[in-house]
Formats: sequence, C-alpha cells, structure tokens
Amino acid sequence: MTRLPLNRRQFLATGAAAGIGLIAAPHVARADAATLRITGWGGKWGQTMSGELIPAFEKEFKCKVETDSAFPFLPKLQASPRSAPVYDVLHTNSNEQWAALEMGIVEAKIDAKQVPNIADVYPYAVSDKMVGVCIFTSAIGLGMRTDKGYGKVSSWKDLWDRAYDGVRGGYVIPVNSLGQAFLMMSGALFGKGMTDLDAAYAAMEKLKPVKLVDFTGTMEKMILSGEVGLAVIHDSGILRYDGQNQPTTFVAPSEGVLSLEQVLTLTPGTKVRELANAYVNYMLRPNVQKTLAESVWYSPANSKVKLDDKYNEKLLTTPEKVAKLIQPDWKWYNARKDEIDSRVNRIFRA
Amino acid sequence: MTAAPFTPRLTLRLGRFCYLALNVAVVVFLLAPIAIVFVFALNPTAYIQFPPVGVSLRWFEKFFASRDFMSALRLSLEVAVMTTIAATLFGASAALALARGGLPGARIITAIMLSPLMLPAILTGLALFQTYVLLDVGRPLWGLVLGHTLVSIPYVVRTTLAVLQNFDTRLEEAARNLGAGPLRTYFEVTLPLTKPGVMAGAVFAFIVSFDQFPVSLFLVSPGRETLPITLFNYLKFDLDGTIGAASVVSILLAVLVVFGLDRTVGLRSYAKL
Repeated sequence: MTRLPLNRRQFLATGAAAGIGLIAAPHVARADAATLRITGWGGKWGQTMSGELIPAFEKEFKCKVETDSAFPFLPKLQASPRSAPVYDVLHTNSNEQWAALEMGIVEAKIDAKQVPNIADVYPYAVSDKMVGVCIFTSAIGLGMRTDKGYGKVSSWKDLWDRAYDGVRGGYVIPVNSLGQAFLMMSGALFGKGMTDLDAAYAAMEKLKPVKLVDFTGTMEKMILSGEVGLAVIHDSGILRYDGQNQPTTFVAPSEGVLSLEQVLTLTPGTKVRELANAYVNYMLRPNVQKTLAESVWYSPANSKVKLDDKYNEKLLTTPEKVAKLIQPDWKWYNARKDEIDSRVNRIFRA
Repeated sequence: MTAAPFTPRLTLRLGRFCYLALNVAVVVFLLAPIAIVFVFALNPTAYIQFPPVGVSLRWFEKFFASRDFMSALRLSLEVAVMTTIAATLFGASAALALARGGLPGARIITAIMLSPLMLPAILTGLALFQTYVLLDVGRPLWGLVLGHTLVSIPYVVRTTLAVLQNFDTRLEEAARNLGAGPLRTYFEVTLPLTKPGVMAGAVFAFIVSFDQFPVSLFLVSPGRETLPITLFNYLKFDLDGTIGAASVVSILLAVLVVFGLDRTVGLRSYAKL
C-alpha cells in the first residue's frame, strides 16, 4: 500500500482549509453579484414582479434584487444617509416622488442616455409635472354599481347628485393620493381651476354625506359589496374584476380623467447606478410593460406596447386616449399639504 | 306599619344581578369584535358582508397556501420566542436588582425601565432604524429582536416587581440560615415563588412581540416581514377573508399561549398579580 505524502497534521490542516473553502465559496460567489434595492407594491403587482419579472432581471443582469414592500418608503429613505441610501430605485406615486425631490433624496430626471427606452414613452411620462419617469398610469374617474337603477353618469359633477347620498364613496384626503387629486379636480369643476382651494373646500362640504376610506383596495370591496354605489376610483380598481360578472363599471367623466402615475426615480447616493438605470430601462421594455399591464390593468407608458384586444379597448394605449389625462400639480399641492390636511379634516370631522 | 320595599336579601340579589350583568356586558364588549373576525374569516364572499351568506374555509386555505403569509407567520413566531427569552432574562434580572439591590435612584431606574411604554413605539422603531443605518448594519434579524425586546421588557419588569414586592424575604433568610448558598436560595426559593410574575411577564412579552407593528414597520428587512406588516401591506391592495383567517390564527395562538401558562404556572397564580 502506498503511503500518502501528508502526515496527520498536514492532512488535518488541508481538510480544514478545504472545509472553510467549501463553506465560503457560495458567499464569495454572491459577493461578486451586485444588489439592487428597490421598493415595490404588494398584491397582484408584487406577485407578478416576484414570480416572473424580477427573477428574469436577476438572471439577465447577474444581480440580486431586494424589494421592500413594507410601507412607508419615504421616512426610511429620508432616515438613511444620502451617501448610502436604503434604496437605489424608488417606486411610488407622483405626489410622494415630488415630496422626495423636495427633500433631496431622489434625482429629478432619468438620464435618457442610460435608459434608451425612455425615448418611446408618451409625453406625459416625462412631462414637467413628473419627477423621474412614469412607467404606468391609471385613470382616476368614477366607479359605480350597474344594478341599483342609478341614472346615467357621465360627469364628475354627478357625484354631488343628492340621489347618491348614503352610497357615495371618497377617500381620507390627507393619506390618499386619489383623494388629493379629486380635491384639486373639485377646484377645477366648481372654481377657477385646480388650484382654487376655496371652491374645492366648498365642494367638499356639499359632498357630504360621503363614506371615506384610506385605501383604494377598501373602496373596491365597498363597491363590490354594494355599500358604495358611486365612488372616486381608478380604472384598475374596477377593470381587474373583468370577466367575474360583477355589476360594476368604470366611468371616464367628460371633464377628463386624473392620472395616477407609477413613477421610478434613482437616489443620488446609489452605488449601483448602472444597474439602477438598467432596471428602469427594463421596466420600460414593451414585453415587461405588457406583462404588468395585463396583470394589474395599468396603462403602459411605453407607446410601442401592443396589448391584447381585451386590455387595449379599456386602457389608455393611444395618443388620443392619453390626451384625456389630467396631471395634477403635485409640487404645488405638497407645498400646501399641511394647510389642506388641516382644513379637510375639519370639513369631514363635522 | 308598611314593609320595606327592599329586604336585605332582595338587595343582595339585585346587587349580584347588576354585578353579573356588568361583567357580561364587559365580556361581550371585549369579545364581539373577535366574533366579527370569525364571521368574516368563514364567509365565502370576497368582501365583508353581514349577515354572512355561508360557511367556507377558503380563506384559511388561501392563508395557509400563501408563501408570503406562512413565511411571515414563521418569522413572527421566531422573533416572538427570541424576544420572550431576552425580555424575560433581562427584565426579571433587572426587577430583582431593583427590588433587592438597594440601588441608589432605584425609583428613577424603574421609571426608565418602564419608559418604553410611554414613548410611541413608532418613534422607537424609527430611532433604531436610524441607529442601524448609521452603524451600517442594515436591518438584521437581531435588530428586529432588539426592538421588540425594548418594548417588551417593561411588561416583565412590572409583573416581576409586583410579585417581589409581596414576597416574604424571611423564606430566603430561612434558607440561608439552613446553609443554602445564594445561588441555591435563588433557584430553590426565590425563583419558584416569583415564577407567576416572571411567567406572566413572559406571556405579555410574547404577545406584544407577536402583535408588534409600529416597531417592525421600520425594522423588517425586504422579503422578511412579520405577520402584522404583511397583513397591513395586504390590506392596502386587497381586503378579503384572508385577513380574517390570519386574525383567527393569531387569536388562537394567543389562546394557546394562555393555556400554556395555565399548565405551567396556573391561571390562579397569574390572577393574583
């Protein structure tokens, strides 16, 4: 029998080194993979992202993506140092993005050279009312029951019809962006424009009685259960029940629909800028936009996206349809938010 | 001479009836919301409806089949167990030191130990988040456990102090006189007699940690969220019976813990506090 050229001490040392290498190898391999930290929604959006789109992105770009879906995002980003932000890409609605820009924790615009797909988005997605880039939008209008014998609804002003006393639905304005957008719309409907707060407040007084909720998910359920018959809601909240024989419909008021934008921005201190830009570009890809749009009934921002007929009919997928979108001035609103919150709380507390 | 309208016996009966009625009213007031949750969890419709239209376990099936909910439930249980151990060890030791240590400023130290109860928990969570970010440790599991322990310790300190204040120290003196050393006296005399207070505090610590929301809001890491946080996020996008099913499971877990207390310590000992 041939003896091994190692003595017992050498054999043990070699074995220990091999063992440590075996344990450390996966960590070393993972250490090479960059980590992109983003925020994201839950629900169907979260399921589609985690089930399909994020794994595909990780595979293509050989990285790891950490998605924080635990609200609130802004306080966490604000609490983290500018040089080491807790997120690389912030996904939230326009109102929060403007607040984040004011705090200096997100960048105002996306670098078009690093995100080539931005060239194909509709103008609203990169307008002067936007921070970063809008990747999807919903249309805020009216949702209603079709089995209660209500008359024809075609205007925002129909919501103030006394016939809907007791079944009218709205939002707690200080905490919900649909409610905030609706308040501004009320100024345009009954006053000189979206910044006419006096007219808006008077309209809110006349809107009572109204059932107020914090979340759009709750409003959806209240419409489904019949507790609310006519409410402010985004089209996605009604269209997602398409094919389920629900007696509900979405009405795009004649005065126009408000945009509820899903917006991506980069944080100034991100250490993975290239990857962050790659993610924004990925989210604007036509195939990715199609997958998400058809999953959650959001209108894609990329004008090159071709949706299936069922979705194409109802979502905002042409320049003509997109032209009906009214973009609220969130910079203006945020500057007055404390005063507005205080006033609407007094109106609805009574 | 006319008879008095209320004889002593009648007065006693009336008093007992009113007392019983008051107790029933309080119990109904406390349990009615829980009953509604049960109804919601068993209702087959996709939205809250009362009266219910049927009985279905579909929401329980959805809850137990959901990877996100199961992962959150496991994490909540893990964190609650770790918090209970840490809060009990630290809180009980601190209570013993405060009651027996003759510490200068013991009252002030006691107030400081109980102060997390007065501070809004969301501020505790935010402050810890900022601290972890400055220390560049991210949002680790131990950080979450530390946050939960901070807000649970006051409960252990309070219940243990209550028992220690009624403790007959002559029993310890007797043990020492009979030759038992300090450690043996602690484990064979002090600890068994303070067990009701310590165990009650441990139960509170478990429940406070399992149901903890404001501290967890800032300290959970992406993809690893506790059950209350997962429920809150679910509520934003959906409001169906799964919420009810999750709530029923949480309630049954709490009932299980109380039964466990009864088996280990006995609820009568707990009721004496």
